Amino acid sequence: MSIVQFKNVTRVYTSGEHELKALDNVSFSLDEGKFVVILGPSGAGKSTLLNLLGGLDSPTEGTITVNGRDISTLSDNELADYRAATVGFVFQFYNLIPTLTVYENVELVSSIAPDASDAKQMIAEVGLSDHLHNFPSELSGGEQQRVSIARALAKNPKILLCDEPTGALDSETGVMVLKLLLGMAKNYGKTIVIVTHNQSIAKMADVVIRVKNGKIREKYEQKEPLSADEVEW
Amino acid sequence: MLTRKLFRTAWSYKAQFISMILMITLGMGMFLGFNMEWKTIEVDTGKFFDQTKYADYRLYSEKGFTKDDIKKISDIEGVDAATRYLSVNLDIKGEKNKSLALDVSEDFNVSTFVVTDGAEYDENGSGFWLSDKFAAANGYKTGDTLTLEFQGTEIGGEIVGLIKSGEHMICVADKNQMMPDYNTYGYAYISPKKLRSVLEEKIKSDFADELKKSNVPEEFIDDSIAKLFVTDYMLTEATDKAFAQINLISGLQKETLEDRVRDALGRTIMVTPKEDHVVCKESSGEATEGKTMGSVLPVLFLAIAILTMVTTMHRVATKEKTQIGTLKALGFKNRRILRHYTSYGLFIGIVGTALGMALGLGVCKAIMSEGGMMGTYFDMPDWDAAIPFFCYPVMAATIGLLTLISYLSVRRQLKGSAADALRPYTPKKMRKIFFERFRFWDRLRFGTKWNIRDLSRHKSRSAMTLFGIVGCMVLMVGGLGMRDTMSGFLELLDNDISNYTTKINLIDNADLKESKALCEELGGDWESLTGISLDGDTVTLDIISNPNSLLNVIDEDNNRISLGDDGVYLCLRLKDRANIGDEIEFSPYGSKDTYKAKVLGYNRSVMTESVTMSDALADRLGIDYSVSSVYTDKESGEIGSSDLISGKQDKAQLMDTFNSFVEIMDGMVVILVIAAALLGIVVLYNLGTMSYLERSRELATLKVLGFRNRAIGRLLISQNIWLTFIGAAIGLPAGIGVLQWMIVSLAGEYEMKLMTGPLTYGISILLTFGVSLLVSLMVARKNRRIDMVEALKGAE
Repeated sequence: MSIVQFKNVTRVYTSGEHELKALDNVSFSLDEGKFVVILGPSGAGKSTLLNLLGGLDSPTEGTITVNGRDISTLSDNELADYRAATVGFVFQFYNLIPTLTVYENVELVSSIAPDASDAKQMIAEVGLSDHLHNFPSELSGGEQQRVSIARALAKNPKILLCDEPTGALDSETGVMVLKLLLGMAKNYGKTIVIVTHNQSIAKMADVVIRVKNGKIREKYEQKEPLSADEVEW
Repeated sequence: MLTRKLFRTAWSYKAQFISMILMITLGMGMFLGFNMEWKTIEVDTGKFFDQTKYADYRLYSEKGFTKDDIKKISDIEGVDAATRYLSVNLDIKGEKNKSLALDVSEDFNVSTFVVTDGAEYDENGSGFWLSDKFAAANGYKTGDTLTLEFQGTEIGGEIVGLIKSGEHMICVADKNQMMPDYNTYGYAYISPKKLRSVLEEKIKSDFADELKKSNVPEEFIDDSIAKLFVTDYMLTEATDKAFAQINLISGLQKETLEDRVRDALGRTIMVTPKEDHVVCKESSGEATEGKTMGSVLPVLFLAIAILTMVTTMHRVATKEKTQIGTLKALGFKNRRILRHYTSYGLFIGIVGTALGMALGLGVCKAIMSEGGMMGTYFDMPDWDAAIPFFCYPVMAATIGLLTLISYLSVRRQLKGSAADALRPYTPKKMRKIFFERFRFWDRLRFGTKWNIRDLSRHKSRSAMTLFGIVGCMVLMVGGLGMRDTMSGFLELLDNDISNYTTKINLIDNADLKESKALCEELGGDWESLTGISLDGDTVTLDIISNPNSLLNVIDEDNNRISLGDDGVYLCLRLKDRANIGDEIEFSPYGSKDTYKAKVLGYNRSVMTESVTMSDALADRLGIDYSVSSVYTDKESGEIGSSDLISGKQDKAQLMDTFNSFVEIMDGMVVILVIAAALLGIVVLYNLGTMSYLERSRELATLKVLGFRNRAIGRLLISQNIWLTFIGAAIGLPAGIGVLQWMIVSLAGEYEMKLMTGPLTYGISILLTFGVSLLVSLMVARKNRRIDMVEALKGAE
């Protein structure tokens, strides 16, 4: 069953007299519970795609349906509610609130997400129970990304959106974070969409979408994706 | 090329640059404006005094001065010029409640005037030279005739010229009038020849009266008969008596002059330096008041502006860090980069100071110009704005300081290698703050924790915001409180001190018995004002008889004093002269007698520095005095004519002049409060924008997580509201403190008690919160436009 459906989606950015078509008439659908990797070089349009799916941006043309609801025409407040309830984000640079502790960063979402999980439990699951009261600046990059994963999952979203989640980490930590991310997503039955230019991650995906010049060049399913340990990093 | 970059960078930080320029403009404008105000008073009044040969000293003698006396005084070594002088208050015939001070300067080298319209002064002239302001207010022009009433006779003549005189630059009927009121009181000069002819008429008229009293038939009493009996001797004697004053120009010390006058005339004469003359005293008092205002509140303005500039410039420099690194990597030397970025501060300093000068001139002109607030107070021909010399180094130092601030901010970013400089600025790491050790902390909402930690993380920004709010509050409480205090003082004067309806001024040396009889007839109270020497200073001896409580004396706490008969009361300005129970010694001017009296307490004097006593004590000590004024609850129309009366003033009329004074104060307060609100807006907007920019990444994260705009806006607003709350809590007592300090500084001029009401506190708090809320909403609105995608790019 499709949880995401892009139909003829175009996103044009204008700067003065210049127009840049970041996405050009893109259509695809994603099934629930799948691990999807969107691959492509810089400027291909993959982040635009993720931003549209995450409700951070709206398409110039076309419709985006998530969980049966058209999000392309939502108001600011409706989009905020959509982000709060339906999607969880994991960013390359973690984007934690520096003035809140680990616990507070995760607990934060309970005030907006209607079906939030227990913050302490999520932090325990990412293995950071000993750092509950530390500030982000007191943690390593890998630890910060784990907090970010805990925060994203604490909202209990339908879809987990990750923008280069290992991009700022060394490969060893990156693999560890990726394992954790996939393990937890599977456990909680989440659809996970990762945007990356790292080909190795694509080997682990159920579905791979290749994007170039704002168009989808290829979309394929992998019957037997590799595990993180099997991938050559 | 770098110059082009300067302007483009300034444009990209336009909010900060405009804020910084506005802050310096406002700070400098207020500082210059209020300091120019008092300097303009000093310079313009000084120029006018020189122009009209305003006397340095005035000698007073009840018996008057003879030609021989004036010659002896003129011959004193150190006396440059001297004139016999007369100034007497006279009613205008046919006009209700309109009077003039009629002046005569025998030798027109001292206490002269400038003609603004009509004929120049002529010592043989027979007309009037009338105050141009009085003429304008009452529709007189040159060529009109004017008739004054002078003890039963009339002085009539043509108005030949319109004038301004230094002696009447602040044209008040007596020391108890605060503001000129040209509708009811002005001044005029006549020539000594005209005075002689007036006196001749007066002698003839008195002689005719005597003849009538001696039952001489009226047909025998005509001008020619009376004329036969008027001798030169009689005329000279009358003239000598009329000239009860000598005005002189001299650079001698008061004590030296007193000694030399005593040696020359063989008797003690009351010598009053110009500093004690109402015009000079009030104008220098006004300048002192301006200096006090100029030394506190505007300095606060400038300090807020400069301090906020430190934070803003530092933030701009950190934002420019990667550009600084790029320039360094390109091969630009540190010195060149420093010079380039330092020029930002110089640019802001020069532009801000230049605009501040223009604003300062505007503020000064709004107060000190013929059409400005002081236009009714001072009557002088030139109103050229002047600037105190110290303002130039202050302006240069401000520009220098702003340049230094830029220099230091940039130097910090230049430390280390080019690679270091190329790395983006890293904010300080977060550490646990003090409150986190307490239990209540865990119960706080995340927004509260977030805001508290943010305040602690960006201490300088928070401190500056707080400083801005405290400053805004201090300026408002100070300004509005000063007005309250002044109004309260006048209310006290109106309701507690002055319970009379009409004040009747008696002629000089009015017969005591007749005066008391008049007072009794009118059911009034009376007061005698005499000059005395107390420890070598001229103060007023105020003898009061107030059985009807129409004229009251109040103590330090504004409670009425029932005057005791066994001692005197010192006004608060003389408080440090003696303790209660001590004995003071004083000597009336023109008398060799000294008197001793015990100090019973202290009283709040309205205008003059005075020693107050009851009439019973004055009689017991044997002091020779005459009644100066009678206070009655009768309307002026109900009071019959008497030779004793030189003029009448309605209390309402007197209070009007006080109210005009309060209006001036109101104008200054309005300028101050508007400027305070503007400064508050600029400072808070600037810092709020900075706070918003610094937190934009966090705000974008919250937005991505699903927080609505309104919730994020609330977070931003609540931080400012907390700071405003703390700022107001500090600013309120601080404002009262500043006000108290100003009142103490002005104690030499007014004996005011700090009187501020809940309304002032309410308005100040409301305005400060209003400013803060307005700015917070303006900043919070930006949140709607935050680009989540852009803000999330890159590491913190």
